[in-house]
Amino acid sequence: MPERPPVSPRTLTTLLKPRLWSLGIRRDGRADRLSTRHGIRQVVITLIGVLFWALIFTISRRVLTYFKNIELLGDLLAFKLLAMLLVTLFSLLIFSNILAALTKLYLSRDLQLVHALPLPPHLLFAARWLEGTVDSAWTVLLYSMPVFIAYGMVFAAPLQYYPIMLLTEVSLALIAAALSSGAVMLAVLWIPASRIRTLFLVLGVILFIILLVTFRMLRPERLADPEAFATVVAYLDTLQAPNSLYLPSSWAFSALHSTLTRATAFPHLDLALLLSSAGALCGLMVWAAARLYYPGYSKSQTAGLRPLGQGIFSGRGLQRWVVGPQTAIALKEIRSFLRDQAQWTQLFLICALVVIYLFNFKALPLERAPIKTIYLQNLLSFLNVGLASFVLTAIAARFAFPAVSNEREAIWIIRAAPLSLKRFLWIKFAAYLVPLLLLTEILVVVTNLLLQVTPFMMAISTITILLVVPGVVSLAVGLGAAYPNFKAETPAQAATGFGGLLFMMLAAIYIGTVLVLAAGPVYTIMRAGFLGRELVAREQIWVFMNFGLSLVIHLSIILYPMRWGEKRLTDHLQ
Amino acid sequence: MISLTHLTKVYGRTTAVDDLNLEVGTGELFGFIGPNGAGKTTTIKMMTGLLAPTRGGVRINGFDMARQPESAKQEIGFIPDRPYLYEKLTGREFLSFIGDLYGVAPSESLRRAERWLTSFGLAEWGHELVEAYSHGMKQRLIMSAALLHEPRVLVVDEPMVGLDPSAIVQVKTLFRQLTAKGTTIFMSTHTLQVAEDLCDRIGVLHRGRLIALGSPEELRRQTVAGATEIQESLEAVFMQLTAEAGSADHA
Repeated sequence: MPERPPVSPRTLTTLLKPRLWSLGIRRDGRADRLSTRHGIRQVVITLIGVLFWALIFTISRRVLTYFKNIELLGDLLAFKLLAMLLVTLFSLLIFSNILAALTKLYLSRDLQLVHALPLPPHLLFAARWLEGTVDSAWTVLLYSMPVFIAYGMVFAAPLQYYPIMLLTEVSLALIAAALSSGAVMLAVLWIPASRIRTLFLVLGVILFIILLVTFRMLRPERLADPEAFATVVAYLDTLQAPNSLYLPSSWAFSALHSTLTRATAFPHLDLALLLSSAGALCGLMVWAAARLYYPGYSKSQTAGLRPLGQGIFSGRGLQRWVVGPQTAIALKEIRSFLRDQAQWTQLFLICALVVIYLFNFKALPLERAPIKTIYLQNLLSFLNVGLASFVLTAIAARFAFPAVSNEREAIWIIRAAPLSLKRFLWIKFAAYLVPLLLLTEILVVVTNLLLQVTPFMMAISTITILLVVPGVVSLAVGLGAAYPNFKAETPAQAATGFGGLLFMMLAAIYIGTVLVLAAGPVYTIMRAGFLGRELVAREQIWVFMNFGLSLVIHLSIILYPMRWGEKRLTDHLQ
Repeated sequence: MISLTHLTKVYGRTTAVDDLNLEVGTGELFGFIGPNGAGKTTTIKMMTGLLAPTRGGVRINGFDMARQPESAKQEIGFIPDRPYLYEKLTGREFLSFIGDLYGVAPSESLRRAERWLTSFGLAEWGHELVEAYSHGMKQRLIMSAALLHEPRVLVVDEPMVGLDPSAIVQVKTLFRQLTAKGTTIFMSTHTLQVAEDLCDRIGVLHRGRLIALGSPEELRRQTVAGATEIQESLEAVFMQLTAEAGSADHA
């Protein structure tokens, strides 16, 4: 009779070993030897991470200290903010866990090997689930921690606040992971196996709705405008509006709030509720996984047949106009994008962000501003160019940066074709430039129309965007080529790492520099306009030089990252 | 015609391909055999422009791969051993993509795509996503794509991997037809019977060096040192050659 494999917590550790080893963690605790280059990169990333953490802590502490000094309202504002943070944190954990559960439990490439192992499904599930939970939660928890620590320091919390804070965060992460994985496990059973990826579409819609509902629930504009309320009592009442009793984030709020204010004799009651719920849900999920995981996984193995999106975009129209490699690659990009439902969720999120972005400008109480409206409108319009550029950067990081990595192992097709890497990269550049330029120009023009800016400001902002977008797309495609990840399972994974971080930093520096260079001349021209006078010769030279330097920077940023990316990609493929 | 001159590839301290000199004539079917890690795939990658050689060069129908890569690549149809494709395209869309990439006129590309899809038994799968294809179907789709622009040189890395017996017979027949029409085929394979059945000449690569070259008949003769006896199969020749080369390396 064949020997049965042992099933124990040790087996769980064994299943997690490949992941731990890939992180360089060995049984004897020693780390892998890193090359100097890799080591420097790790140090830079760690330093940036620490700086970012410190920045969040400093800002949180300053804001909370400011709140604390406002009589009557200060504490209420701070605790309303805490409630908002916890709702947001819990929502974020749910989002990221849903995506992690789908990838880790049903879509990962190594699952075939894992499922061939002589182990019960619930154990495989537990190992994969644990990995997915840690992957999706660690950044959210790490970067929310400085805010909670700032609360502890500003409110002079007792020492027990800090372990309670840690346990609260971990419990929230476990509850979010258990609920998300449970929902995914059930959804996979209901949705026909050949359409497993359609689940992403459903999730996209859910994400969109949750985001909007959360946003409306928070009602952030009321916090900044107490005068809009009929009475102070109504304002206080709004601030003290209770959260839902059934939301784990409400229990987390109560646990932290009662510890911070030393309000009750039993601050641990809410924590106990959180911990017991986390434990019970995890147990329930493993129990359910023993029955539901394998049937769902088995269904997910049937590949999709009829391509979704074929009806939406056949590309025949485009083929009639242009033929050759540029059409071939552009069509391939569009078709692959439209048929990858994982990308659709991102589109929904972008739509939500755009709606919120425009809503914010529409809701601006310009008429109650203490300074002259025409100045404020044009100042906001100028700042809006920066904001729209940063939105563009975030979108480019998600879509244009992984453009080269998206070729994955099929990159050999491009390498073997009679097409230079340079031309290939410029075709990619053009394919992403058009939609991103359209999106950013629409954002800027619509907000300018909402702000009713002067024609001069409208021209300046549209021209600046016309130059910034090619620069940012070039940085994204170029750096994406310089730091490709052809093994990435999703475009989002390709965008993480050193290359993605470098892109975000360089794009921020680029946008900041050109805006600073443009700010002075724009102010000078506008002031002269308001005063009804011409620019003097000295001013004209200064304006000309600033705009000239900006133009040189724009052109350099359009050309050099692409060249560098081409060189690095050529070396990488050797 | 393929010409490899002093072709060398060095990775760090390892010489994957060592001073390889070879000429493959027009309409010839050349077989490249050797144990795992002999340098066959590295050679093929250099021939197709996927890798730059450390030293030496590759010429395809007179075009230098280093100086005129686009012209040289236009002459080649490449069939790799692992069928990595764009999973989100349908079979027909993939062929249309390849047609555009190699500059085939759209109407001609469509006609040829239908011909090859039918020929390889993929016509009814043409509108399905590549991600739904089996390994063998992907391999057949890659073959259709490699032949779409009617290349004068076909470079094939392990052509029979993942194919069913009827597809293997079909591919053998196709290769003979192509060479009869003047297409040069350079084929790397582990299936010695395929090499023996098809190839005009065979080169044996071992640790990056060409240790034997000739027709299957010539190889069978030259392996038995000083004897008139002829080996019965290419398998025996292969074992003897690689064993001799291995012991010479260790001596």
